[in-house]
This record gives sequence, C-alpha cells and structure tokens, in this order.
Amino acid sequence: MVTCTCTGCALLCEDIDVIIENNRVKEVKNACRRGAARIRGCVNRLEPSVNKKQADIDTSIKKAAEILKNARSPMLFGWGNSTCEAQVKGIELAKRLNAIIDDNSSFCQGLLIERILKKKFRTCSLEDIRNRADVLIYWGSDAQDSQPRHLSRFSYFPRGEHRQHGYEEDRTAAVIDVRESSTAKICKGHFYRIPTGGDRELILALMDALSGKVPKYDKRVLELAGIMKKAECGAIFAGIGLTYSIKDDPDILVALADKLPNFNIMPMVGHYNMRGFNENLFKETGFVNRIRFEGRPVHNDGYAVVEALRQKSIDALLVIGSDPLSSLPGSIVSHLADIPVICIDPCVTLTSRIAAVTIPCAVSGVESGGSAVRMDGRVVELPGIIENNHLSDQEIMTGLMEAL
Amino acid sequence: MPTVMELYQLLPKTNCKKCGESTCMAFAVALLSRKKNIQECPPVLEGKFKEQKDKLESLLLPAAGAEETGLIVHPELCTGCGNCVVACPVDVANDPKGAGIGGAPTNDKVIFRVLDGKVVASNIKECRRFGMNRVLCYACIDPCPTGAIEFV
Amino acid sequence: MGIDIGKFLKNPEYEIKITTYRDIFQAEALERDRFGEEYRKLSAAIMMSKNDMKRMGFKPGDRVKLTNDNGSIVVELRESKREEPGGVAFMVNSPWSNALVSGDTGGRGIPEFKNISAMISLAKEEVTTIERLIIVR
Ligand code: SF4
Ligand code: SF4
Ligand code: SF4
Ligand code: SF4
Repeated sequence: MVTCTCTGCALLCEDIDVIIENNRVKEVKNACRRGAARIRGCVNRLEPSVNKKQADIDTSIKKAAEILKNARSPMLFGWGNSTCEAQVKGIELAKRLNAIIDDNSSFCQGLLIERILKKKFRTCSLEDIRNRADVLIYWGSDAQDSQPRHLSRFSYFPRGEHRQHGYEEDRTAAVIDVRESSTAKICKGHFYRIPTGGDRELILALMDALSGKVPKYDKRVLELAGIMKKAECGAIFAGIGLTYSIKDDPDILVALADKLPNFNIMPMVGHYNMRGFNENLFKETGFVNRIRFEGRPVHNDGYAVVEALRQKSIDALLVIGSDPLSSLPGSIVSHLADIPVICIDPCVTLTSRIAAVTIPCAVSGVESGGSAVRMDGRVVELPGIIENNHLSDQEIMTGLMEAL
Repeated sequence: MPTVMELYQLLPKTNCKKCGESTCMAFAVALLSRKKNIQECPPVLEGKFKEQKDKLESLLLPAAGAEETGLIVHPELCTGCGNCVVACPVDVANDPKGAGIGGAPTNDKVIFRVLDGKVVASNIKECRRFGMNRVLCYACIDPCPTGAIEFV
Repeated sequence: MGIDIGKFLKNPEYEIKITTYRDIFQAEALERDRFGEEYRKLSAAIMMSKNDMKRMGFKPGDRVKLTNDNGSIVVELRESKREEPGGVAFMVNSPWSNALVSGDTGGRGIPEFKNISAMISLAKEEVTTIERLIIVR
C-alpha cells in the first residue's frame, strides 16, 4: 500500500492509500468518488499523433515546437491540471515565444484569487478553519459536489483544536445559492435561496444589516447577518456561482469582507493546481492570468482565452490539461478548427480529437510527481506512485524548449 | 421491516403538510428512518383512521427497540464525501486523531471507511443504536447529502 | 386516456432560463470516459420543477430541444429531485450546456455560464451526441 495525493480537486487530499498490483491501481482508500475515479484513470489514453496520424512522441514534440515557432501569435492555455514545476517551465516557454499565456482561472476564480494574492481579502489556511472556524458560509458553492471532502476534512464536521464538540454545537454552516444543492441539503436550516444574479443585492443588504440599517430585503437577511456578526472566526467559501454573479464588480465582496473583521474569504477552486498557476504567474508578472510576453509582460483582457478565440486573434494554441472544446462556449470554439492546436493530456478529450498534434502525458499525482498549491495557498507534494513510460507535463515542457 | 410503500398506503395521503413534511410519502420515509413518529401526523390520530394507525404502530414496533443491526449503505448513492466517517460519534471516540479530525481512519475500530469512493460499514455492533445504553443516533444520516445511509 | 392532442397542435415553444451546476456523479463519469454513455446520460439532460413541466405540458423522460442564438441541442427532460420554486431550469455544466452559452462577454472574458436564456420545445430528434458537439472542419 502506498500513500498518494489526490489531484481530483484543489483540496489535494494527502491521505489517500492505494493498493497497487502489477503496476495497476487495485484499490483506492479514503478518496471521494471523484478522486477515486481520477486515481483509477480514464479508459481512453491519448496516443501521440501528428495531423491525426500516429507518431512517436519525439516527432510530436518536434512538430509542436515547429508550430509554435512559426506562429505569430501563439497562446499557451490550460495549466490548472499541471504541477507547479510544469507551470514555471510553461511560463518560461511563453516568454521565449513571446506568446500569450492564460489559464482556466480566466473564466473561473481568477478575479478572487487575484484579490487574495494582492491581500485585499483576509484569508487563512484550511487547518485554521478546522481548528477555529465557527461560522461557515458556502456562497455560490456546492462543495459537496465540487470539493467533496471540504466539509468532512476541514470545515463543518471535524473536531478541531478549539472546536472539540460536534458540529451541531460548535459550528454553524449556511448556504447561499440559487438551487438547493447537496451542500444546502446538509445545512438545511440555514439555506438562503437567491435568484440567479441576486448575489450583489444580498451583499448590499448584508452590508446594511451589519451597519445597523434596515435592509430592503427579505427578513431572513437579518438572521444571516446576526449569525455572521456573532462569529468568532468565520469563513466565506466563495464559489464560482458568486464569482460569476459579481464579475462586473468583484470589489463589492471586498467591501463586505471589510465589514466582517472576523471573517476569512476563501475562493473555492476546482482544478487541482489552478491557484498554483495564478501564484506562479503573479510572482513573475504581478497578474494571475491573461498575459502576453513582448519582451516584458503585458496584461490585457484581450488575452483572455475566451476573448482571444472570439476575436480570432491567435494563430496557434497549445492546450495542456484542459479541454476548451468541452468547457468553453460552443459559439466561440469554431476558431479552433482554423488554427493548429497542440493538445497535451493523459486522456483523449474533445480538443484532442481536433488537434493537429497530440502529446500524451502522465497523470500527475499518480504517474508523475511534483508539487501543487491547495485552494488555500498551501504547497502540497505529489509523490507519484505508479511506474510508467509516460513523460510528465514538466518533461514535455522541457522537450519543447529543447526542440525550439 | 415494513417498506416505505406499506407505510404510505396507511397514511391519509392528503399531503396536508401538518406533520412538517411536504408530502405523506416524505413522512413515510421519515417514519421508516425514525426521524418522525406517528404522533406527528395529526389527521391519522383522528378516529376514522384508527385501524390504519394501529397497523402503522404495529409495523413500526419491532425496530423501535433497535435490536437488530439494520444499517444499510446504498453504494450507488454514496459520494464518498466522508461526512459520516467524521460525524459518527463511535468513529470519533475510537479514532480521535484520524477520523475524528476529518482525516483517513488510522485504525480498524471505526464503523465507516471509504473504499473506492464509496462508504463501507463494519464494526456495526459498536453503533450507539444498539447495546445496553442505546440512543437513537442520527449522526451518520443527517450529514449525508444523498440519503445513502438508512436504518431499517 | 383520450387521443394525444399535443400531436395535432403546433409544437409549442416556451422561453426558459437555465442555470448550470456541478454534479459529482457526472464528474466521476468525466474522469472515466468523456465519450461514454454514462457521461452523456448525466450531462445531456435538463431538470425542471414539476410545476414548470406541467405548465408547458411536458413530462419527465420527454426529449426537448433547447435553442438560442448560440446553438441548439436535444436533451432529456427530468424532474428536479430538489424542492424548487420553479421558473429556472438546471443543467449540469458540460459541452451540452456550453453549446448554449454566448461568447459575448462584454470584453471581460467571463461568459454567462450560469445565466442562459433559451427556447424549449418537444423534440423528435435523438439526444445530441458528443460527437456532434465537436466541430469538424
Ligand atoms: S475531495 Fe478532491 S482531492 Fe480530496 S479525494 Fe475528493 S477529489 Fe480528491
Ligand atoms: S400530516 Fe400526516 S396525513 Fe397529513 S400530510 Fe402529513 S403525513 Fe400526510
Ligand atoms: S447511528 Fe450514530 S453511532 Fe450508529 S453508525 Fe450512525 S453515527 Fe455511528
Ligand atoms: S455521508 Fe453519505 S455520501 Fe458521504 S460518505 Fe457517508 S454515506 Fe457516502
């Protein structure tokens, strides 16, 4: 039996025991349903190919380097499912190519992570939450389905240093959402349903209630504000439901946080190392995504993957650990048919099906090691537990650099 | 053990909500999992339902003593979230530094463990619903997002 | 039962709002095989409240066509297992839901994944396959 880190989501659970037999996963212990599936792997492994014809991996990498070199405006996109080591190499590659680099956070939690890294929000570690938190607000976040062990490992259910009694006595968990999610079901008595896009209005009402004004809102907002006021150590787990809803004015959440001195804000991250990419790029450029290197890093919303595809402003795309054809609006991905796409992934994806070059890689955390950044900013080691012949995404990045 | 349908058939089926559940079916489910008792349905206590009420009571009687270990996990519903692992007071008492603080169980004395993304239960005799000082515990049922744990 | 009158009427269309969510069972299927039957079953579906379905004359299991300026898909209609006041329908985030999402983000780069307007009507066609969602040259 070996212990590994699950890369199924940004909780990066480190307590997963795996029984391996004949170099295959036989049993996975302690991982949730999603994590167990990640560790067991996909049925359709990707094969190296060039122009839809099978190729050896070196040929694929050479061809990919050639495409990138010949492009005038290439983009390197994905990164949320890559180790920090691969991400750092990827940023180097973007510099070398004068390329645009962007990641999934661009249409996900980037707005909030940027504010965390700029220290606009108070935040804390998940261990702090376990040991101290008494009021937990899941806002636009269905952790039970997206980060399934969040409540059991850290927030609601575990006994912590200063929370020695059961969750019923020591902690209050509330859910603000447009639907009765699985998380809302568990927090039954404290489910606050809002209409789609109604987050801003609720934030304003809460701010009124917290400053002693009478909010023009459903009376239950007073109850919620009361719970928040009483918190010794509170946390708002901000899901993409909240982020999408306040995307035009994310600082409204900063304003609310300023009124809650005992609260921490934690963006709920999906992809296991999205925060890692944001931190690595931030260290290098001062921005978390949407960068073009032109001798110096330039940040522009036009370098967001969605905008670049919509405006058809890129002429080659390298995708690593992401499936834009699956996760982006169908109405803009048609540009992918007009430009050469390089796809690096352990598995066949929608994007790999249309790619000019495919480069299979190891499943990080299982077939290759490295490090990653958990949703709260803690660096977690990924041991890598199964011997295999696949290149890691880091090795592929190195190969691309060499081929240039 | 009775089935939900058996119980439901004996209820007034008016969905009047007086019991606090939204439907008689939901109340039947609550009866079966012992979250509610028959007294909480005012209409069935009225004289004209006497027969049904007696039948309901007799159906529910044996398990009210919670003698047998009737714990069932429905693996197809379980998400492997581990809420039950951490919330079960037996697991906390028997593994305070593992399951008790949200981690993987560190010994074999726990009731719940997650294998291949689904919960399996063992050591069920330790469950607080059984034995001398039994109590009607819901600590594994309430935190389950999908209703994957049931006592019948 | 009488004759199915719906057959003789013009196929009525209704305007609906859709919001997307995540589902762990669908995420599991995605990890295993995104071209598989399971993933399609869990993705190519729309959940509506009982009342909304009744109002539109649909029933669980019906195939429905969802159409807007961005695309058109056929999915299966299911009754929401949750208590819903109605007015909004739900889809698990997937290439199917994304087929209906606008790429116009006001220049900000974040599409409205969770706030989709579409027309819904009964469909004769089969449920859209994932192959159909991959653009071909
Ligand atoms: S919660 Fe996330 S990291 Fe932990 S086992 Fe599940 S998928 Fe893996
Ligand atoms: S009170 Fe009893 S009879 Fe009335 S709806 Fe509830 S369960 Fe049914
Ligand atoms: S009923 Fe209580 S003691 Fe028994 S298994 Fe469930 S949580 Fe544990
Ligand atoms: S709480 Fe329910 S879903 Fe979660 S692990 Fe236990 S039985 Fe499974």
